Amino acid sequence: MTDSPLDPKSEASAGLMQYSPENLVPFGPVHPSLKEPEYFKLYLEGEKIVQVVPRIGYVHRGIERAAQDRTWVQNIYLFERICGICSFAHSMAYTQTAERLTAFEVPRRARYIRLIIAELERIHSHLLWLGLVGYWTGFDTLFMWVWKDREHILDLFETITGNRVHKSFITISGVRNDLPENIIEPLKKEMKYLTGRVDYYSDLVSTEETLVARTRGVGRIDQDVARRLCPVGPLLRCTGIARDIRKEDPYAAYDELVPDVKTSNQGDIASLLLLRLEEIRESCRLVTDAIEKIPAGNVKLAVPRVIPAGDSVGHIEAPRGELFYFVRSAGGMKPERVKIRTCTMANILTATEMLKGHTLADVPVVLTGMDPCFGCMDRIAVVDVAKGKEWSVRGEELRLHGINWYKPGRQT
Amino acid sequence: MLDTIAEALLFPGLTFFVWLAFVFEWLERKTVARMQGRIGPVVAGPAGILQPVADFFKLVGKEEIIPAFADKFVFEFGPPLFFAAPAIGVVFIPVIGPSALVSHPLDIIFILFILAFSAFMAAMLGYSSAGRYSTIGIGRLILQYTSYEIPMIIAVITPALLARDLSLDGIVAAQSGEWFIFLAPVSFACFIVAALAELEKPPFDIPSAKTELVAGWMTEFSGRALAYVKLTKNLSYVFLSAIAVTLFLGGPLGPMPAMVWWAQDLLYLVYFLVKLFAVGFLIFAIRSALARVRIDQAAGLFWTIVTPLSLLQLGIIMLLR
Repeated sequence: MTDSPLDPKSEASAGLMQYSPENLVPFGPVHPSLKEPEYFKLYLEGEKIVQVVPRIGYVHRGIERAAQDRTWVQNIYLFERICGICSFAHSMAYTQTAERLTAFEVPRRARYIRLIIAELERIHSHLLWLGLVGYWTGFDTLFMWVWKDREHILDLFETITGNRVHKSFITISGVRNDLPENIIEPLKKEMKYLTGRVDYYSDLVSTEETLVARTRGVGRIDQDVARRLCPVGPLLRCTGIARDIRKEDPYAAYDELVPDVKTSNQGDIASLLLLRLEEIRESCRLVTDAIEKIPAGNVKLAVPRVIPAGDSVGHIEAPRGELFYFVRSAGGMKPERVKIRTCTMANILTATEMLKGHTLADVPVVLTGMDPCFGCMDRIAVVDVAKGKEWSVRGEELRLHGINWYKPGRQT
Repeated sequence: MLDTIAEALLFPGLTFFVWLAFVFEWLERKTVARMQGRIGPVVAGPAGILQPVADFFKLVGKEEIIPAFADKFVFEFGPPLFFAAPAIGVVFIPVIGPSALVSHPLDIIFILFILAFSAFMAAMLGYSSAGRYSTIGIGRLILQYTSYEIPMIIAVITPALLARDLSLDGIVAAQSGEWFIFLAPVSFACFIVAALAELEKPPFDIPSAKTELVAGWMTEFSGRALAYVKLTKNLSYVFLSAIAVTLFLGGPLGPMPAMVWWAQDLLYLVYFLVKLFAVGFLIFAIRSALARVRIDQAAGLFWTIVTPLSLLQLGIIMLLR
């Protein structure tokens, strides 16, 4: 065992010497219940999980660095690709943060359209998650039904923006296109349909015995844990803390259409199921209200090529929770630095806390409970605890390290 | 003698039941897909009916990989033995008449032995492959087996008690008046629940939970071995449904007008198939409507609910008869 921070065998930094390696069950990075690679060290006592150590960085994509080589407008499409589920949330957070450096007043109609797309995306993200819970608990019928209903939202996306997943719809100073003609009635009809489905699913997840047995009391956290570990989004709201950026720091048109923040005080997976369904219902209401009250007018101003110099921080309520963007401009065609704090980054420690005390069979359900998106989250930091310093690794150093690592005959 | 062997191998014996196993898989995939809002197989044959056959022959033609630290003898000779259990069992099922091809006064004991042997072979196969997922899967399978076997045995001997006969022929004959499902409905329900556990169908697909254990104890199998393991599981599916039909639904019996012998045989076959598919559909419906329970919850369910219920039904019948 070495002290090198690049040596994954080094346990010095994790403070885990008291747990013997015989009790370690590796979960990931490649595991059937993880759709994205991430490694969780599970320390067991018998069947019970006593300690969980997440190890992140397996799908680090260097997007923050890539952003520095692209223009302001090109970056919108780059940041969309951080996440395939909440792609609009990322592009909106970036656009709003960049807009703060400019003197633009985004047209009201554009702000309403942004709200509609963002809320549709919340519905789609929550439905996708509900389907996945069905999948992890072996309830394939729920999975198929929910995903079939999710198709309605994707079709709406296609009608409005032209794309199903990466909408490429937002732009600095507004949105790229106006709503298509005759969208009001179909949108209202779909929202009504989905509200009906949500009623049905709420009934189903709270009465279906096998599903209740798998979720009630599983992954329970209380407010103290939540205050200590600072999760965001539904994971925080399910402990009874009503925090929602849409209400606390309104953006888009949330100052005029105020969402009702739903909370629960159970803090387990069963309450997360009901909470997210409530949020879908609320989003349906917001979309219906927005399409009725939408004002006429422009949807964008002239899109700038250059953003004035300055620093800006912005945050929005993505489907998974609070999403932070930091943008620094030197006044040029490209951003000088973009820093992203995704929701999963904030939630992953809480998820490890939720796992403690449960059995191995609960791991997929609990990990899904936080709605993980490891691809969005991954980052690399090199820390030497012994010397108390932190530094970045250059590409060439990493390459050499990789060559050394895989040298034949290396002692592991 | 020779025609009995021919019947056992062709109709209504092994070949017929293997054909039924393919039809069952197709029906399961099709009905479950319809229940879930999908279409199901459509490519091979009309409405995709040949899809299970195509899948089987595709697997047979694939490369077989034997894990380096597997117990090679058991790993290679296990699948045929695993297949043999339900394949031998099917000849005891009366299909085209009130009596089966092979009949013995102690049929029920042999059927119970076959069911136990199936689970035993699954455990042997899983342990022989020595994979991590297989080992965990087998641990769960054995725990599940110890939970469901007792209610299943009690549910199987209840009809025997009603008929005062341990042979399947005798049980079928005793149901010429009233089917045992009406006399012992709880036993039938317990049998179906235990059969779901034996077949590893939701909510008891715990030993092969795909989101936790890839394919459970079948993870390391590939090629021909996997093809036979899968066929065996489908054959067990038909076999257990057929036992349910024989024990509780009167087997092939039904209203029988006076006709030539072959027309009567045909009518018996139709009755049998209708009942068999009815039991099959019951299992499809249950499996697509439920989520998977945890192994401790499954054990709790069997020991605290299913076993006492089946014992209660047995006790009531013993008191009344």
